[in-house]
Amino acid sequence: MTPVSTWRWPTPNGLPPRSLIISALVLLCALWLTAPIVEVDFVRLFGSIGKMAKFAGQMYVTPDWHYVPQLLRKMLETIEMTVLGTAIAIVISLPLGILAAHNATPHLFVYRLTRDLLSLMRALPELVWALVFVSAVGLGPLPGVMALAFVTVGFMGKFFAESIEVVDPKAVEGVRAHGAGWLQVRLFAMLPQALPDIVGSVMYILDHNLRAAAILGLVGAGGIGYDMVMSMRMFQYDRIPLIALSIYLVVTALDRASDYLRSRIIHGSRKSTFAT
Amino acid sequence: MSAITIQSVSKRFPNGFEALKGIGAEIQSGSFTVILGPSGAGKSTLLRLMNGLETPTTGEVRIDGVTVDSGKLRTIRSKVAMVFQQFNLVDRLSVVTNVLTGRLGHRSWVGSVFYLFRKEDMDIAQEALSRVALTDKAWSRADKLSGGQQQRVGIARALAQHPKVILADEPVASLDPVSSEEIMNLLREICDRDGITVVVNLHQVELARRFADRIIGMNSGKIVFDGSPQQLTQSALRTIYQREGIEDDTSLDMALAYA
Amino acid sequence: MIVRDLDISFESLAYGVADIGEYFSRYGQPDFTNLSRYLALMGITLATALWGTVFAFLVAFSLGPLAARNFAPNPVVYRVARETLNFMRAMPDLMLALIFVAALGLGPLPGALALGVHTAGFLGKFFAESLERVDKNVCEGVQSTGANFLQMVMYAGWPSILREALGYTLYIMDRNVRMASVLGLVGAGGIGMALHTTLRLFEYGQSAALILVILATILIIDYASAWLRRRLG
Repeated sequence: MTPVSTWRWPTPNGLPPRSLIISALVLLCALWLTAPIVEVDFVRLFGSIGKMAKFAGQMYVTPDWHYVPQLLRKMLETIEMTVLGTAIAIVISLPLGILAAHNATPHLFVYRLTRDLLSLMRALPELVWALVFVSAVGLGPLPGVMALAFVTVGFMGKFFAESIEVVDPKAVEGVRAHGAGWLQVRLFAMLPQALPDIVGSVMYILDHNLRAAAILGLVGAGGIGYDMVMSMRMFQYDRIPLIALSIYLVVTALDRASDYLRSRIIHGSRKSTFAT
Repeated sequence: MSAITIQSVSKRFPNGFEALKGIGAEIQSGSFTVILGPSGAGKSTLLRLMNGLETPTTGEVRIDGVTVDSGKLRTIRSKVAMVFQQFNLVDRLSVVTNVLTGRLGHRSWVGSVFYLFRKEDMDIAQEALSRVALTDKAWSRADKLSGGQQQRVGIARALAQHPKVILADEPVASLDPVSSEEIMNLLREICDRDGITVVVNLHQVELARRFADRIIGMNSGKIVFDGSPQQLTQSALRTIYQREGIEDDTSLDMALAYA
Repeated sequence: MIVRDLDISFESLAYGVADIGEYFSRYGQPDFTNLSRYLALMGITLATALWGTVFAFLVAFSLGPLAARNFAPNPVVYRVARETLNFMRAMPDLMLALIFVAALGLGPLPGALALGVHTAGFLGKFFAESLERVDKNVCEGVQSTGANFLQMVMYAGWPSILREALGYTLYIMDRNVRMASVLGLVGAGGIGMALHTTLRLFEYGQSAALILVILATILIIDYASAWLRRRLG
């Protein structure tokens, strides 16, 4: 039975596949129901375009060059927070990763516990932890570093655990057969095999953490975030473009660097498969 | 006016490789031509020049008098269809949808972007599928079919374009002998019944001899033979398949002994 | 070197450990008196994330193919689309939220927009990279029929990457729920504002309750999105 209209879909009954129709309906319902919650108001949106244009226009002023030294210091602080937080996290997540890998953990209970712990550490965004840590140790970059490290341990711990779990068991057997102790087996057989994948994920984590670090200043946890919020609140149009530009440049630089490194590593690892 | 005109065409790739070195030919409308030659001879490149997938470095290719250049690709491709060695179907889509992609050059974008087709297009697809004897597999996913069946879908797609010319780039190289036979027969039948000009790249000499009206032999970017299958003697084959710089080519001798 | 530069004093951290222990114990008694209000706020947060993700998808759907080398109609369009997506990614959502709040006033809408714009950059880049990985043969097959840009995208592009694309969109939705929780801090609606207030007022019991609500929601969304992704893959 072909439908009366001249147009049809390339399906036996001329209508789109059922799964498509259902998902589309569910989504549209969800959107329609939540629209008032999110106060989606197209009139308001279009009305605000004028305001946005005016806002953008006001930024065409001479940048506040006196601000640049402080800007650079803050950006440097942001970068340092990222690096330090990530480094600390990597160190802490190595042992935790071992505990959370079911082929390396000393006891199933430890495995479950560590896995759940890592899951919790991952769950909340860095900013929430930053709020808490600022409340605990005061303002400055320290709570920022702590928050970054905390969440990163959650990610890296899980990642290490998963890398260790796919390690070649024969290699492990080999080391064990030579009488290696519990710790030595893990250090010399499991970790080295898991390490190559790590570089890619470290780059990804650094990228993510840099973006997160840029925001943490909002709650006083160091970095450019504080300046960003303050300059917006005080309508310092001569600073806002500078801040935006510097964030854009640093993030993009890291992005390109990590793309480049990743392509070189993929290229390198392809070579090694031929070497065998 | 001949269907395809190749005029003083050369093609040099960015890496310096000269695939075609100043060749010319005219292909008559409604004929069945086979291009024969070893790998790297330039057969693929020549074929791909005819529907704009490659552009010549010098010279030009004309279809029905219209020069193939980047501005007119859509018009050219609505008249010139291509069948590929790897079938080049969209795996995740159904057979029918794949055949319908043949109509994309003729349909404006409004409906097709939303996967909407007019009844005429569905009819054309239906017709093409029955022509290649695949109506029972119409709604299967393309990647669930065998090689021979997938190539028939490829031909159905080409037919759906209602083309004047069908180009086939090594259409049977990935198929077993029985499927190859099937596909070549199909192509020949389409040429005979519908008067569509067919140009096929092959490396199997046997198939070329049996199905072609005219054989163009290529070697190292030049045309070294142009004639009927009857004229394809051993020495002609030797010219086509000889390898540069190898004086005493035992592999060549052995292959030709069995060709 | 970095440690010195940041003027981080690990001694103060060490001394503070005991304090920290005591500090965290204050969170021990979550105060759920305002639970219904917190849940309502969480609902707003989820809705914000949903709209943000949908908006991001729409933008990425449009720009992604333009930023894919093998689909882009010409190199200029490709470059422009790529750079636009990069720019959208680079701007922190919080900053965008600040800008949108300045333009639209307080509430969840600027938050949704900020999330939408920022994640559109991520999603768009992902779509572009997936499209670039589509088998060249498939593209040529559709190309040879005379398809134009839009048709190429719809027939050779999306069917080939739909699975990955949906999986990644779910991942972005997941991420947006987390970010939406904190956008409230800049007045962009949702539960972030409440948390900021309770912490400022040292109401640890309420803060603990809030954190638990946020945590629970995020974990639920995590499981849901992982389940959906398993069903897709």
